[in-house]
Amino acid sequence: MSATQIAGRMAGVDAGAPIRQSSLWQDAWRRYLRNRGAVAAGAVFLLILLWCIVAPLVSPHDPNHVDFVNAYQGPSWSHPFGTDQFGRDLFTRAALGGRISIGIGFGATLAILGIGVVYGAVSGFVGGKLDNALMRFLDALYGLPYLPFAILALAIVGTVNFWTMVVALSIASWFITARVVRGQIITLKENDYVRAAKAVGVRWYGILGRHLLPNTLGVLVITIFLELPGVILGEAFLSFLGLGINPPDASWGSMAQDGRDAYRAHPHIIIIPSLAIASLVLCANFIADGLRDALDPRTKET
Amino acid sequence: MAAYIIRRLIWTVPVVLLVIFMTFMLMKQIEGNPFRKSERAVPAAVQMNLERKFSLDRPWYVQYGNYVKGVGTGDLGPSLVLRDRTVNDVVAEQFPRSIELGLLAFGWAVLLGVPAGVLAALKPNSRVDYGAMFFSNVGFALPNFLVATLLIYFVSVKWGLLPTSGWTTWQHKILPSFTLGLVPMAYFARLVRGTMLETLQQDYVRTAKAKGLRWRRIVTVHVLRNSLIPVVTAAAPLLGYIITGSFIVENIFAVPGIGRYYVTAVSARDYSVVMGLTVLLSIIVIVANLVVDILYTVLDPRTREART
Amino acid sequence: MRLRIPVLLAAAAVVAAATVAAGCGGGGEKEKAGSGGQKAASQVLKMAWGAEPPSLDPGLATDTTSSNVLLNMMDPLVRLGPDLQPVPALAESWDVDGKVVTFHLRDDGRWTNGDPVTAHDFEYSWKRTLDPKLAADYAYQLYGIVGAEAYNNAKPAHAAALRDKVGVKALDDRTLQVTLTSAQPWFVQQAAHHSFLAVHEPTVERYGAKWTEPQNIVTNGPFKLAGWKHDASITLVKNADWRSADKVALDRVEGRIIVDGTTRVQAFEAGEVDALDGGGLPPADMPRLKELPEYEKYPALGTYYYGFNLKNIPDVDQRRAMAFAIDRQSIIDNVAQADQIPASGMVPKGMPGFETIEQHFLPPRADLDRAKEFMAKADDPKQKITLFYNDAPGHKEIAVAVQAMWKELGIDTTIKAQEFAQYLEFLGPPPNDAVYVYRLGWIADYGDPMNFLELWTSKSGNNNSRFADPAYDRLIEQARNTPNDEQRYEIYRQAEAMLTGPRGQLPIAPIYWYTYTNLERESVQDTFQINPLDQFDLSKVVIEEA
Repeated sequence: MSATQIAGRMAGVDAGAPIRQSSLWQDAWRRYLRNRGAVAAGAVFLLILLWCIVAPLVSPHDPNHVDFVNAYQGPSWSHPFGTDQFGRDLFTRAALGGRISIGIGFGATLAILGIGVVYGAVSGFVGGKLDNALMRFLDALYGLPYLPFAILALAIVGTVNFWTMVVALSIASWFITARVVRGQIITLKENDYVRAAKAVGVRWYGILGRHLLPNTLGVLVITIFLELPGVILGEAFLSFLGLGINPPDASWGSMAQDGRDAYRAHPHIIIIPSLAIASLVLCANFIADGLRDALDPRTKET
Repeated sequence: MAAYIIRRLIWTVPVVLLVIFMTFMLMKQIEGNPFRKSERAVPAAVQMNLERKFSLDRPWYVQYGNYVKGVGTGDLGPSLVLRDRTVNDVVAEQFPRSIELGLLAFGWAVLLGVPAGVLAALKPNSRVDYGAMFFSNVGFALPNFLVATLLIYFVSVKWGLLPTSGWTTWQHKILPSFTLGLVPMAYFARLVRGTMLETLQQDYVRTAKAKGLRWRRIVTVHVLRNSLIPVVTAAAPLLGYIITGSFIVENIFAVPGIGRYYVTAVSARDYSVVMGLTVLLSIIVIVANLVVDILYTVLDPRTREART
Repeated sequence: MRLRIPVLLAAAAVVAAATVAAGCGGGGEKEKAGSGGQKAASQVLKMAWGAEPPSLDPGLATDTTSSNVLLNMMDPLVRLGPDLQPVPALAESWDVDGKVVTFHLRDDGRWTNGDPVTAHDFEYSWKRTLDPKLAADYAYQLYGIVGAEAYNNAKPAHAAALRDKVGVKALDDRTLQVTLTSAQPWFVQQAAHHSFLAVHEPTVERYGAKWTEPQNIVTNGPFKLAGWKHDASITLVKNADWRSADKVALDRVEGRIIVDGTTRVQAFEAGEVDALDGGGLPPADMPRLKELPEYEKYPALGTYYYGFNLKNIPDVDQRRAMAFAIDRQSIIDNVAQADQIPASGMVPKGMPGFETIEQHFLPPRADLDRAKEFMAKADDPKQKITLFYNDAPGHKEIAVAVQAMWKELGIDTTIKAQEFAQYLEFLGPPPNDAVYVYRLGWIADYGDPMNFLELWTSKSGNNNSRFADPAYDRLIEQARNTPNDEQRYEIYRQAEAMLTGPRGQLPIAPIYWYTYTNLERESVQDTFQINPLDQFDLSKVVIEEA
């Protein structure tokens, strides 16, 4: 089981706990706003996003300008996060790294959802022998560690860039999502309106597209925020093992890896990207919690 | 129930074969010559001798067939890089260390995570609760390489309390297992808190309370026991996390386990070791799932229907 | 060099210990205190090895760690002196007669089981390494011997016959005669390489691949393998029966295997180990480490260079411009940081004959004016290029720096990293067409410029640049058959000039010549020495009172 999957369990989302079909997104939104922790997390998350998007645009520093005279400066007014060994401004570079880390995070999460939805939907909707076979595989592979397969995948592509990282992180991480989606579909399939739709002769794709998938949307939104922390940490782990994204790009993970060797003299170089990762993961967890409470009041704790 | 267990067992075989096949095909896609370890070019004769020795000159399906046959008889083949050793040697010597690391990490999680969850649940929304959940969240969010780096710096280098790395005495094992145990710890704390809050709401607890049983007894006898069931079943899925985490932790703390060597083996193109370790890890996970599912079925017959 | 005052003071009192330390060979570069400290009561060295030895079989070992463990457990025919010239070890003398080299062995060489070490052991071992069935990676180290390549290349049916034609023969127990394919004046030096060590035939035949395990192994050098926990530790103990055991101070060498550079440094700074194996310090931490009293550096025989793919950058003036725009000294001072030497050629400083061979064309500091002049002369200069390097610590940083330097020429460089194994395949030869510039390094196998210059012959498997010049090939072939050092160095000078001289084709832009950096506790700093081939001799190490 990956960190992602642990997060899934932490928020209590698993197969067979479908969100009741409801178009009352406003209700959910209202419930979300009542959860102070989740609102704060959402705000911080947006702030981080904003920083990543805006800081490089307005920064007076060229993030790739090499200036050895100003290498390894600690935090100061002109360089709030200090500079790295090339004298490059870390405030700007960390924002750029955030774009890549968060981009990879969302990219891989969406890929995981995509695979999971297709697998789960087919399995749940078709049912019968196929469902049985597909699920037996999932049962067996549930909890397979993604890291060895990600390492293999990265070794195959050789040059690690944004997209190969997305592939590596999603290649063996979609088992849980598939199971969740399938559980949803199976439960929904038994609903009266689906039977009714079937009875009046709506084709399978109509049922799947109009009734089943839209009603799994709630779970999918939660899943995005459940998967995100694991994926972002996964990218950091791979970078840390020396399998990170290649320059000139840098992610928070690869920045932290650069920083580890120099941590004795210049601890800020590892701490800043690590804390950025941690904040993002923390926010995503709280947001997922809030979303779950908001979208599925039944599981709401006292 | 027996039928379910048998069906589940039978399914394990094709899944294992599929995992071996996929890993094998993945390995074949990787470019790079396992026999070229440095800038120095390998003369054709040397290359040929090596390929012949390790049967890499045979067609892939023959190699795959031999490999599956080997796995069936428990022989994972020779290492292409560690020339004095076989993959079985690597596993036999280094895998127990990884298992020990994982078990110790799990031990930390039970030792600290469960009590934290219990305390938090007994006084929900108190300072204790917030404190426990704060540490749980932080423990989950902090990347383990930062935790490891900070622990080594303060505990070992600065204060000189514990060794920086290695895996010989019990002192060596504290920091790596604690680092690896942090996420399971956070997980357990939250899990126990959640299930305990739920159990405390149950009718039988209220009844027991109404009957005037001592609160401490209710908690220890009824609530805690029931709340620990999910913790036990969570052990198997946590396995995957521990495997993943061990890759990093073994690297930083120079723990001579298989997680650290896996990365080396991939970059050295030691096909047989990579294959062997991947297949082994997968089989362990598959078997663990099998055991958990069977236990589940035995313990709670309701899940059986839900699963089919 | 730094003064070691306590050591000097102690030296005044202890003359006896001083003679021990003064007898040390090794690096040669490091100034001896002219004396030694007082020998400590406990002679146990704790050190960190940088990798698990993939094999402790001399025939199969290929890496530095295995090599160093082996050279301390085994008795080579010759060892290398400070100037890289061979000095007697197990062979007390040797004769060179054209293509025939005859080694005369000492009579007191003993295996750890008591058997005498004979010339037959060497004949057996070398032929075993060449055996196609053993499939030794480094079999080609022995290709200089007549019939060696043919035997190594043999089909199973012909192997037995070709084995007898290999030009190595034990004339008697103490005389080993080797017949070479050409004069190869460096052969005796080469015999100091671990591939030329002897193995104990009965042990090898009895245990097969497992003969190197501590419970089986039979060795013949100053130390014995007492323990080997794979990927964790290597323990060596003094071999009391070794022929010169009375000169060995250390009783035990407790080695830990620590791969990660930062983890290694932490273990050292926490006092868990007394010396590292020279396997490199994390570049990013160098500015801090260089200030430590335990920091040591040694000259190395190695060249770090950027190669050009001549197909993609065909104009020599553009290559000159790019080579002139690189600020080597700045890279060393700000990025590599290990006191390397700015390189002006392929053959590194410290190599025998370097004074003759050295070219003075490429400047240590960037010369942008000349670089721009060259660039202006270039016909159709390429403005958008791709620079490849392998993803290991330090290379990225240098690439980023060079990228910035080439920007001054209006060249837009994309840098791309690849994982090492794949990278080597990618470079060919011939290199992939995506490659404009690539990074590589070369560390010497033996102390003759041939080892560096033969890389650039047109048939070389290490020539990734597409540089091919029949005149160059002829020079190298001529050098192979020139036993006289001065004449040969003159040929090397011409060859080097064809590469990096004013009229050279510049298939490469050398960046720096390597140094080895290390951390050593002051108690062993005087006697722990790393030679330019990255070897250290633990039999010379003495632990002194702090």
